[in-house]
Amino acid sequence: MSTLAPPPRPVVDLAPPAGGPRALLRPRPVHKLALLALLAAVLVPVAALTWSGAQWPAGLTVDVSGPLGDTTDWIIDNRDSHPLFVYFLGHLSNAVVLSVRGVYLLLLALGWIGVTAGGTLLAWRLAGARIAALTLVFFLVSGGLGMWVPTMQTLALMVVAVFVSALVGALLGLAAGLSERTFRLLRPVLDTMQVLPAFAYLLPVALVFGNGVPAALLATVIYAAPPMARLTALGLRGADATVIEAVSSLGATGRQKLLTARLPLARKELLLGLNQTIMMALSMVVIASMIGAAGLGDRVYQALSTVDVGAALAAALPIVLLAIVMDRTTAAAGERLGAGGTPPGPGGLRGPLLWAALAAVTAVFAVAGRLSGSRVWPTGGTLEIARPVNDFKEWMVDHLYSGVPVVGGTADWAGRFTDWVLNPLRDGLTALPWYGTLLVVAALAWLIGTWRTALTAVLAMAAIGVLGVWEPSMNTLSQVLAALAVTLVLGFAVGVFAAGSRRFEALLRPVLDVLQTMPQFVYLIPVVALFAVGRAPAVAAAVVYALPAVIRITTQGLRQVDPAAVEAARSLGATRWQTLRQVQLPLARPALLLAVNQGVVLVLAVVVIGGLVGGGALGYDVVTGLATGDLALGLVAGVAIVCLGLVLDRVTQPTERRSTGKGA
Amino acid sequence: MTGTSGGASAEAKSENTPAKSGTPGQAASAAPGSATTGSATDGREVVFSVRELWKVFGPKAERIPQDASLAELSAAELRERTGCTAAVRDVSFDVHKGEVFVVMGLSGSGKSTLVRCLTRLVEPTSGGLAMDGEDVRAMDRTALRELRRHRASMVFQHFGLLPHRTVLDNVAYGLEIQGMGKAERREKAAAMVAKVGLDGLEQRRPGQLSGGQQQRVGLARALATDPEVLLFDEPFSALDPLIRRDMQEEVVRLHREEGRTMVFITHDLSEALRLGDRIALMRDGRIVQLGTPEEIVGSPADDYVRDFVRDVPREQVLSVRRAMRPAREGEAEQGPALRPGTLISEAIEAVVRSGGTVRVVEDGRCLGVVDHACLLDVVARLDQPGPRDEVAA
Repeated sequence: MSTLAPPPRPVVDLAPPAGGPRALLRPRPVHKLALLALLAAVLVPVAALTWSGAQWPAGLTVDVSGPLGDTTDWIIDNRDSHPLFVYFLGHLSNAVVLSVRGVYLLLLALGWIGVTAGGTLLAWRLAGARIAALTLVFFLVSGGLGMWVPTMQTLALMVVAVFVSALVGALLGLAAGLSERTFRLLRPVLDTMQVLPAFAYLLPVALVFGNGVPAALLATVIYAAPPMARLTALGLRGADATVIEAVSSLGATGRQKLLTARLPLARKELLLGLNQTIMMALSMVVIASMIGAAGLGDRVYQALSTVDVGAALAAALPIVLLAIVMDRTTAAAGERLGAGGTPPGPGGLRGPLLWAALAAVTAVFAVAGRLSGSRVWPTGGTLEIARPVNDFKEWMVDHLYSGVPVVGGTADWAGRFTDWVLNPLRDGLTALPWYGTLLVVAALAWLIGTWRTALTAVLAMAAIGVLGVWEPSMNTLSQVLAALAVTLVLGFAVGVFAAGSRRFEALLRPVLDVLQTMPQFVYLIPVVALFAVGRAPAVAAAVVYALPAVIRITTQGLRQVDPAAVEAARSLGATRWQTLRQVQLPLARPALLLAVNQGVVLVLAVVVIGGLVGGGALGYDVVTGLATGDLALGLVAGVAIVCLGLVLDRVTQPTERRSTGKGA
Repeated sequence: MTGTSGGASAEAKSENTPAKSGTPGQAASAAPGSATTGSATDGREVVFSVRELWKVFGPKAERIPQDASLAELSAAELRERTGCTAAVRDVSFDVHKGEVFVVMGLSGSGKSTLVRCLTRLVEPTSGGLAMDGEDVRAMDRTALRELRRHRASMVFQHFGLLPHRTVLDNVAYGLEIQGMGKAERREKAAAMVAKVGLDGLEQRRPGQLSGGQQQRVGLARALATDPEVLLFDEPFSALDPLIRRDMQEEVVRLHREEGRTMVFITHDLSEALRLGDRIALMRDGRIVQLGTPEEIVGSPADDYVRDFVRDVPREQVLSVRRAMRPAREGEAEQGPALRPGTLISEAIEAVVRSGGTVRVVEDGRCLGVVDHACLLDVVARLDQPGPRDEVAA
């Protein structure tokens, strides 16, 4: 038989008519603005007449310090007697203390030789020789800098925190991944938790548990579990529908489907979730030193409070190395699993046998270490870097802070930035009538997002006023806006350049990788060294922290622009600049908006932590609240930070990101 | 319980199922001689019996089939009035044991939804659905699972393979779901892998295979459970034309060897004509014509079908039964003889050689004769009453 010619396909017009009902449901920007203007015309005169002045009217504030103080007192009074504490929170806190202590003692018992050998072997098994070498360097550096004990304390806390976070996250994610209702309930909560600064979690936890390891661990779990939950749920829900359908068509039960298809298909997301959880846990474990977590973070905190840059650096180096080691190990393990390859290992030694061999080798090293009599790091084997670093810093203070010919000094820059940018911005924001601020927030959020996001943003902004922290919030906001502007200008410029030059991107990538893995806390150290204390260094730290993400998203967004469109533009004779301006940037708009969104969230997180180095405002209130035990002050500031985070996220949140999920 | 007994009886039945009547060389013959029509059941066992089946997506879908005023609306009107989309509308047909039943239509015509309704991967909105006389719509979860495990397997357009498993474990997956032991299922799976021509690739992963190979894995997975019916949902649409051709021949071969009942969904007319014993042509959720390839091509039910089959080389689908005219005096006794199922493309040669008329003979009786003019009329589409003027003009 010869082939039959395929028939002509009758053209069926399935596309809905242009415009359609969708266009009617989505008001155009002009209409939105007109509606807001109308609303403003009615409400503003009323507001202006009723409450005079630009500040949030006193009549609209609620003083919560009284009730909060009472709550604090009640908790402190009842901590040892109330059933809730005795039978639930008490046990919880005891379990945490015991398990962290247990891991810590185990690490000490293994001795530095055992821990180093075990950690290196583990990294080698999971991620290969290069990462194993890096792990070895990490242990040697942390011991060499005299930070062995704090490193072990941090590690012990990390082990327990990651275990609990991953478990809680995976369970939540499982529930949300399998049940539509749970997903709809959890998704907005998780999305929101994702954008809140770590600082905001410290106070409520400290209030309930008091300062100490349980509070630190709980704060860490609250902060680090959401990414695991989020990615587990997304992974389970994002499973290839055709595979799930095929599995159903073969008669699989729900459980079979979950175990043989859904979970294995979500492996990549699960590992990515674990990776993010680990990184966030580390970030939080370090910050949680403010509520009583011992370890490396505590050393940084102590050093920063006395502006001892050298000591801070000695503690920060192990933190940075630990972050890189943990990130690379989980990432490499994930890639390996995803590729379906077999992990490295001598032939014949696979699976449980290999693990047993690793454990045995570690034990041998540990015993050898014990027999040689050195359990903690050998006393002579440390290198004191605090003094030389501080000497260098003194030299910088003398020579670079001011009076450098032509360019001026770093302190001069900081001062000028404060005088010319931060102060006017803060004064302007404070001088702007409060209803004006609300209107601007509403307009921005509605233009970029939906009416839901706008409403959330306005309500959150109003909550700040109601809590009576309008002024410090405007101060924080001014720092955020200044940092954001600098971040975006730098980030977009570098991102555009990196998208255009493969070589530059290849050079940039490892730098970005390292910068993105470092905990927020660490960024404060170099800026303090360069700019002393004040608001300018807080802004600088925020810029440095947010820059990598902005650069990366911009580059990726530009790269992902449909090559056919770029090619078409070129074929029409467009110059490179024309292509960039008329094709690439418009098509990469969603990515650029996402970059703004991420930038603002990251900037806020660090600006708030900047309260530790003289950034003032809300962050300072949290620090003071924690330091002086005035939990009401800190708690109000914490809530204001949460609100500010919500406002900033919603105002910059593109509609696309919400299109898959509901709720604001 | 019911599923197991059904599976067992299916095996017993399949032994005495007559193999497809086409000759080995004629992949697309579609049994032109046997002329099973769409409506006749002619005593053959019915595997799937579908009656007035509806599937409506959207809010309060149940009301649509019941409400005559809504049921008659066009797709666009229905969406506007109710927000619902009727993917399958009032569809009835029987699938006979051992036949290849093709459902064909353009994308959006509801054919994929229809095939999913058969095992309730998509829950039908209303209507009757029976397999081997058992009411599928009344089955509880366990019975339905048994049906999917043992009696009907499906092959998907996008394969639906598990990327983290080897080829062998993918093929064995259906048996694993049934609870079969590792060694036994691997042994069976290995035999299936060989059957579809993938020997040596057992330990590969789906990502390392070409599209055609992946679909062979999908086919082996479906065959491994030894189902009574194979359901194909556009299985070869995502493949290159040459690979597609290979796979179609593979299906023809499997059908010839095993005589398994197949329901085959496609949007490709040539594929439908090549594989189908009978073809149901769907448009907007309805079956517009149900018949043998010859009936579809030779007697299109309406302009839509006619438009659809316009470019089909008719001499390769239609038989002399359609082209012949009554014998005039003397013609019935002389000249070469052809069977009525002979394709026109083959008859042309005989007519040219004889130089005159050729008789169409069945069981020694002369049904009629064909000559140049008759054959050309069919090829030139002049045998149809409708568009004759058009074509002439």
